[in-house]
Amino acid sequence: MTAHYALAIDIGGTFTDLVLHDPATGRFAAHKELTTPQAPELGVLAGIRQLLGREGISPSAITRVVHATTLLTNALIERRGAATGLLTTAGFRDILEIGHERKYEIYDLFLPLPAPLVRRAHRLEAEERIGPQGQVEIALDEASVIAAADRLVAMGIASLAIGFLHAYANAAHEQRAAALIGIRHPDLHLSLSSEVSPQIREYDRLSTTVANAYVKPLAVTYLDRLARDIAALGIAAPLFLMLSNGGLTHVDEAKRVPVRLLESGPAAGALAAAVLGGRSGARDMLAFDMGGTTAKLAVVRDGAPRVAHRFEAARERRFTAGSGLPINISTVELIEIGAGGGSIASLDPLGLLKVGPRSAGSAPGPACYGRGGSEPTVTDANLAMGHLEAEGFAGGTMRLDVAATEAALAGLAQQAGMASDALAAGIQAVVNEAMAGAARVHLAEHGGEAAGLALLVTGGGGPLHGPDVARRLGLRRVICPPAAGVASALGLLLAPARVDEVATLACRLESLTGEALEARFRALEAEARRVIGETLGPDAPVRAERAADLRFLGQGHELVTAMPPGACDIAAIRAAFEAAYRAVFAGVPPVAAVEVMNIRVAVSAATGDGRLDPMIPSGAPTMPHGTRRLSIGEVPLYRRAALVEGQIITGPAVVEDGMSTLLVPPGALATQEANGNLVVELPA
Amino acid sequence: MFDPVLLELLWARLVSIVDEAAATLLRSSFSTVVRESHDFGCVLTDAQGRSVVQATDSVPSFLCTLPNTIRHFLQEFPPETLQPGDVLITNDIWMGTGHLPDISVAKPIFANGRLVGFAGSVAHSPDIGGRIRSAEARDIFEEGLQIPPMKAISAGVPDATLMRLLRRNTRVPDQVLGDLHAQFTALDLMERRLRDLLAEHGLDDLAALAGEIQARSEAATRAAFAAVPDGVYRAELLTDGLEEPLLLRLALTVAGDSITCDYAGSHAQVPRAINVCLAYTFAYTAFAVKAVLCPAVPNNEGAFAPLTVTAPLGSILNSSHPAAGGARALTGHFLPALVLSALADVLPDQVVAGVGSPLWCMGFSGFRRDGSPIANALFINGGYGASAGRDGTNVLSWPSNVSAASVETIEQSAPWHVRYRRLREGAGGAGTHRGGTGQETLYESRSDQPIAVTFLAERTQPGSAAPGLEGGMPGAPGAVLVNGLHVDPKRQHVVPPGGTVEMRTPGGGGHGLPERRDPALTAADQMDGIA
Repeated sequence: MTAHYALAIDIGGTFTDLVLHDPATGRFAAHKELTTPQAPELGVLAGIRQLLGREGISPSAITRVVHATTLLTNALIERRGAATGLLTTAGFRDILEIGHERKYEIYDLFLPLPAPLVRRAHRLEAEERIGPQGQVEIALDEASVIAAADRLVAMGIASLAIGFLHAYANAAHEQRAAALIGIRHPDLHLSLSSEVSPQIREYDRLSTTVANAYVKPLAVTYLDRLARDIAALGIAAPLFLMLSNGGLTHVDEAKRVPVRLLESGPAAGALAAAVLGGRSGARDMLAFDMGGTTAKLAVVRDGAPRVAHRFEAARERRFTAGSGLPINISTVELIEIGAGGGSIASLDPLGLLKVGPRSAGSAPGPACYGRGGSEPTVTDANLAMGHLEAEGFAGGTMRLDVAATEAALAGLAQQAGMASDALAAGIQAVVNEAMAGAARVHLAEHGGEAAGLALLVTGGGGPLHGPDVARRLGLRRVICPPAAGVASALGLLLAPARVDEVATLACRLESLTGEALEARFRALEAEARRVIGETLGPDAPVRAERAADLRFLGQGHELVTAMPPGACDIAAIRAAFEAAYRAVFAGVPPVAAVEVMNIRVAVSAATGDGRLDPMIPSGAPTMPHGTRRLSIGEVPLYRRAALVEGQIITGPAVVEDGMSTLLVPPGALATQEANGNLVVELPA
Repeated sequence: MFDPVLLELLWARLVSIVDEAAATLLRSSFSTVVRESHDFGCVLTDAQGRSVVQATDSVPSFLCTLPNTIRHFLQEFPPETLQPGDVLITNDIWMGTGHLPDISVAKPIFANGRLVGFAGSVAHSPDIGGRIRSAEARDIFEEGLQIPPMKAISAGVPDATLMRLLRRNTRVPDQVLGDLHAQFTALDLMERRLRDLLAEHGLDDLAALAGEIQARSEAATRAAFAAVPDGVYRAELLTDGLEEPLLLRLALTVAGDSITCDYAGSHAQVPRAINVCLAYTFAYTAFAVKAVLCPAVPNNEGAFAPLTVTAPLGSILNSSHPAAGGARALTGHFLPALVLSALADVLPDQVVAGVGSPLWCMGFSGFRRDGSPIANALFINGGYGASAGRDGTNVLSWPSNVSAASVETIEQSAPWHVRYRRLREGAGGAGTHRGGTGQETLYESRSDQPIAVTFLAERTQPGSAAPGLEGGMPGAPGAVLVNGLHVDPKRQHVVPPGGTVEMRTPGGGGHGLPERRDPALTAADQMDGIA
C-alpha cells in the first residue's frame, strides 16, 4: 500500500505553519514559512514545496489538505473588504448604524465607535413586511427590489447583503429578492440574513450578514486561487477549511458563508489543546497560549473547547468588549489579554506597576533584542531572572543583549524605588496575576471555578509563565504538548467535520409539544447532515448534538442548554434547563414559565483517528545538559528532545525545547510521557 | 509597606472580586434595565463604609451612592449589632439613589473575628409597586413600596415578613424576588473572595490596604484638579420642565486642588416626580467632573474626596421628604451638560457640545390580543455632541448607558408594530464638526384595547435644545406625537387600537463655525442624506 498524507496549512500574521502527517504511523513533519500578506497563497506554495522536498514526498501522495487563515479577520480590521451594499425592509436602513446605542467605556467623552461597514448611501430599502410569526404583512414589491439593486450596482457595489425584518421566521422575501437580483446582476455577490445568521434581533443579524458580504468576494477569489494553485502543484486532494467553531467544511460551503471562517486560526489552536491534553487523560482544561503581544485563554470541558454563539470582530480597542462589530456565529470561545513577551512594564500615575497592554511588538521589540527598545518588557524580566539565556534564543537564531535589559530594568527600578531583581520578579508576578484574574472572571461569567482544571500551555511564553499562572489559580497540573510551536496546524489535522445550524422559535417551552419540537430539530439536522455529506461523503458516521437557548420568562439573556438524549420531551428539557441554570447561578428563580428563543444542532464527523507519534526515545534517563542560574540558585537544565519515555524531573529545573522554555518549580515533578506531553504536577 | 508590585497585585485582585460579582449578578438578573443598561453596582468598602473598589462597568447613577447607603446602615445598625450572615436592605431614596426601584443591599464581612468591610450591591428592581414609571407622581407615597433600613437576612435567616410584603406589593413578584436573590448571591461571592484574599496574604483586616488605595486615588484626583486654573465657572440651562421651563444653575469653583459644585439658584422642588436627591446630584456631577478631568482614576472614596457638591435643601437638586423622584433622570441627566458647559470656558478642547440627553423612554401598560397583560419600558437615545476633533455620534446613550430593545423582540412580545426606526435627517447641530443626529421611531398599536403610555422625554422645546459650542449650532429639539399630534410628554396618554406613538429624539449640538467644515465631510453628509 502506498503511503498517503494529510497536509495542514495555518496562515498567521508572521508565519505560515505547515504540517505533514502520516495517518498510518502518526508521524508528522513541520515547516515554518514567512507569511506573504499581499498574496498569502505565495507563502503557502513556497512552504509546501520546501516541506515536500525536504521529506521527499510526492504531491500525489497527499490525500487531504486542511486550511486556516487570518486573512478575513485582517480584512475586517483593516477595512479592506468589498464595496458592499445593504437591502433591507422599508423604514429600517439605519438599524445597521443605530446599533446598540451603548458606550463600551462610560468615562471617555471622545469614544470612537466602529463605523458601519456599509455607508448610508449604500443602504437601500424594499417595500415588504414579514410579521413576528412569519406571516406576510406587506407583499414583496418586486419593482422596489430591482430598482434598489440597479441603483446599488450603478454606484459600484460588488457585494450585497439582504436582510429583512423577521426573516428568521420566514425567508421567502429574502429568497425571492435574491432570485430577482441574481438574474439581473449575476456577478453581484449575495448574502442573505436568513442563511448567514437566522436569529432574532435585527441589528446583530444584519451586522453578521453585512460582515459576510464584506469579506465574501475576497474569500471567493482567494480560495479559488489557492485551490487552483495547490492542484497545479500536483496535489489532487480536496481542500477543507477550518471554521470558527472548531469544525471543518468543504471549500464551496466556506465560500458561501465566509464569515464562519473568521476565527479559524485560534479555533484550531484550542482544538489542538483539547486533543493533545486529552492524550494525558485531561478532559477539563484551560488552554493557555502566550505569544509576543497577547495571551489567549480557552476553556475545554469534557474534551471539547467551549463554543460561544456570538463574538465581536474588528474591535476599536482590541481588549475592550463591546467595541467591535457583533458577529452571531458559533465560535470557539477565547479571551484575549494584552499580555505577551513584548508587553511593556511601567508605573501608572498612581505609582502602580502595570504590564501591558502596550507592547514593544517585534520592532523595536524588548530591550534585549538590541533594536532600540529602552523600556523593560516581560521578556527582559525573563532574561534578567535567568529564565531565558542570552545565547540560544528562538532556536539559536538570535542573541539577546543582557546589558540593554539591565539598563531598561534599572531605569524603571529607580523610579519604583525597588531593586532591579525585585522589579523583574514583580513584572512576572503582575503579568501572571493579570492572566489569572482574567481567567477567574471569565470562568465566573459561566458560573464555573478554576479548581480541578489542567492548564495546557502553548506559544513561546506558555511554558515559561504557565506554572505560576496555574499556582495562582489553584491548579495542580500543567501539560506541555510536543511541537507547541505548530500546535494550531496540528489541530487542523485532528478537527472533525462540523456543521452548526440554528433556528429561532421565540415562544414558551410549554406551548410546544415534544413531537413538534422534535420535527424542528430533525429539519435542522437534515440540513447539517447534507453539508457534512458534501464534505465527507454521504455515508460518514456522524454525531449530532442538540441545544436550545432557554430563559425564564422575563429574562433577556439565554442559557444555551444541551438537550437530554432521546426524542424531545418537554418536561425533561425543562429539568435539564433547571439543572444547567443551577450549575451556573447556584439557584433557580421562582419563575414558572420558560421561553425557548433558539434551537441549535451541531453535527460532526471524525475525519481521521487522530494518531500522533511524537517519536519519544526510550532508554535510561538522560542527565542534565548543564545548569542555569535562577534567583533561587543554580538549577539543572535539560533539553526536551533528549528526555526519554517515562523520565521524571524533580523541580527546580529548566527544560528547553528550542522555541520555548519550561520552568519546573521547586517541589514539582515533570514526567515525559510516551504520548509526547511533558506533564508537570505542582506541589499542593 | 506597599511597593508598586504588591499594591498592584492586591488591588487587581480586589477589582477582579467586584467584577466577578458583577458578572454573576448580571447573568442571573431578571430586570431589563439591569441587563440591558447595566443599571446596577457592586462595591467593596472598608469597615467604615468607605468605598475601596467598585465594579468596572456600572452606570454613573451609582457613583458613591452605595458607600453612602452603608454609612446610613451603620448609623441604624452599629458594628456591635452586626453578625456574620446578616444582609441589610433599603430603598429609601435619600439614603440610597433617589428613586424607589433601586434596592440597595449590603453584607458585613467578618475576618479574624472582626468587621473588616462591607460587600454592597444596588440594582434596579423590575417593579416596586406604585404608579407605573411616570413623572406624574406628586409625592413619594404614590411611587411604591418603601423599605426602611432593616435586616433582610439575620445571621443567614431571611426575614419572611419582608419577603411576603415585597411579594404582595409588586406586580411581578417572582422577578423582584429573583433579582434580590441575584444580589444576595453577588454579596456572598464578594465575602468569600475577600476573606480568601486576606488569608492568603496574611492580612488581619482591610484597613491599611484600603487607606493606601484611597490615598493614592485622592492624590491623583487632586493633581488633575490642580491643573485647572483657579476660578469660578458658571453655567445655566432651561429644561422643558412642567407647565413652564425649569432653571438649573451651577457655580463650579476650582480652588487649588479642590472643586466645589454649587447649584444654588436652581428651581425649587416640584410636586412631580422629577426631583433629585443630593446623592444623585453628586453622582452625575462627579461623573462629569471625572470624565473631563481624570477619567483614568479608579472609582473609590479617595477619588471623589476633593469634590464637594451642594444644593439648597428643598431645591429640585436636593429634594426633601416627601418629594417624589421616580423620573429624576429628566432633571439629573442635565447635570453633566451643566458641568461640561461650565468647564468649556476654561477647557474648550476637553468637552463636547450639548448632548441630546437625557435618555428617552416610553412606558406602557395594556393587553395583548390574547388578553394577557403587559407592562414594560422601551428606551431610546438622542444624538451626541460634537467636539473639537470629531462629529458627534448619531444616537448614543449619554450620560447613562442604556441600549434600545430590538424591533423584532418588541414585536414578538408586545402589541406594538414598529413602522420605522431611522435616523432623523438634519437633526444634528451644524458646525465645523456636526452634532450627532437623533432617531425617529413610530409604534402602531396592535392591541384590541387601549394602551396607557407615559414618557421620559426632554429637550422638546427650542429653548432646551442641545446647545452648540464655539460657534456650532444647537441640535434639533425632540418631539412626542400621539396619533400624529404633538403631546405633552410629562402626562399619561391613551393610545386606542390602531393608534400611533412617534418619538423623535433630540440631536446633539455642533462644534465650531459651520462655514469652516471640511467640504469633503459636507459632501459625504449630502451623499448619505444625513445633514
